[in-house]
Amino acid sequence: MRKILFIEDEESLQKAMGDMLESKGYSALGAVEGESGLLAAKREMPDLILLDLILPKKNGFEVLEELKNDPSTKNIPVVVLTNLEGSAEVERALSLGATTYLVKANYKLDELLAKIETVLNHHS
Amino acid sequence: MSNAILLYMASWAQGLNLKKTCAEYQVGLWQCPQFLFLVMGIVIISAILVTYVVASRYEEPEIASLVVLILTAILFAIGNLIVRAFERVALASKSKSEFISIMSHQLRSPLSAVKWQLNFLLSRDERENADFGAVQKYLQTVYNQNERMISSVNDLLEVNRIEDNDLILRPINVSLAEVTRRVLEEYKNFASASNVEFELRAESDQPAFADEERARHVIEHLADNAIRYSPGGGRVLIEIKKTDGKILWQITDHGAGIPKRDQSRVFEKFFRSDHALRYQTEGSGIGLFIAKSIIKKSGGEIGFSSSLEKGSTFWFTLPTGR
Repeated sequence: MRKILFIEDEESLQKAMGDMLESKGYSALGAVEGESGLLAAKREMPDLILLDLILPKKNGFEVLEELKNDPSTKNIPVVVLTNLEGSAEVERALSLGATTYLVKANYKLDELLAKIETVLNHHS
Repeated sequence: MSNAILLYMASWAQGLNLKKTCAEYQVGLWQCPQFLFLVMGIVIISAILVTYVVASRYEEPEIASLVVLILTAILFAIGNLIVRAFERVALASKSKSEFISIMSHQLRSPLSAVKWQLNFLLSRDERENADFGAVQKYLQTVYNQNERMISSVNDLLEVNRIEDNDLILRPINVSLAEVTRRVLEEYKNFASASNVEFELRAESDQPAFADEERARHVIEHLADNAIRYSPGGGRVLIEIKKTDGKILWQITDHGAGIPKRDQSRVFEKFFRSDHALRYQTEGSGIGLFIAKSIIKKSGGEIGFSSSLEKGSTFWFTLPTGR
């Protein structure tokens, strides 16, 4: 079973995504802070990480940078999932090594699942 | 051709309706670029005429030079006023753009949550949705997100009223202790989920003279901040005292505190300290701006003292009841 870690401080989003992933046969893991998200990534070694940018403790950019600097986690694809869509944020996330950058409000859950599957298939 | 000239002249004449144009910018006449530009034009024409008259009547060139110098200084001052007026208009426009950007982000989060929750429920068939308890949990979250959006929009409208100088208060005798008790009841679940314990010490029963709904709004903002910026929970003390003919209300937490470098900016509209973002990602940075505007307009004062990682005390005063 493929593991997906969702680092997101909004618990209602966490739950909807987690329930949807589990209903499609994935193992859904969640973290509501940047710091605990990093620890969960290192401990669980998920197949993919969904990462919000505005996070308490450590923000999404810091988490992304640490994930990509750590040899054990640098190959895990990271999909940035946020409601920020300024070109500066998009460029920064992609230059730090995010696989793709998606805006939450623009996607339905099933459309996000299709994107996740594409990224997973590309990295498998 | 003649029609085009007439149209141009009509639009020019309309442009000369300075009172209307300046009212649209929401600035006074002496801060309105169009008006100042007209004044500068009049001064330039007068300056040329005066210089001509002075130069032709007096033989001493010093007098003509002195008049030119004085008029140049006046022109320089008016030019400076025009630049400042343009800066003001540009800043107002920048502020509105920031406002729209922050508020749309504030609304996008609950809107995404509602979208995903409903999307998940709709993606399931009748059998999967038969568990009423599970469906109700989703609906409750959707309801909460809707309340959050209503609150954000209300704050947005309040900021607009403040900026348009249209905040109308209806002051009456209000018991701050009673209002605080009602706010604490409303925040009971949020406080308990955040391990925050409130203590209310009301030393005075003297009512304040204030708009009850707005006073409640200020107390809600300050109580909400005390919970949000108390990571790991702790005790929050609210005291109400009578002091110097006013009612003093103050709230002390033992939370994150505010760094010295940010302390002068906490009442600024949209300001959110980087330090605050480490603890609390939700927020638009307008709660304290609204609180300050309400308290000032009510004839009171508002302030705070804070120590990093030790906590903050926010206080306000209101006139005593009649």
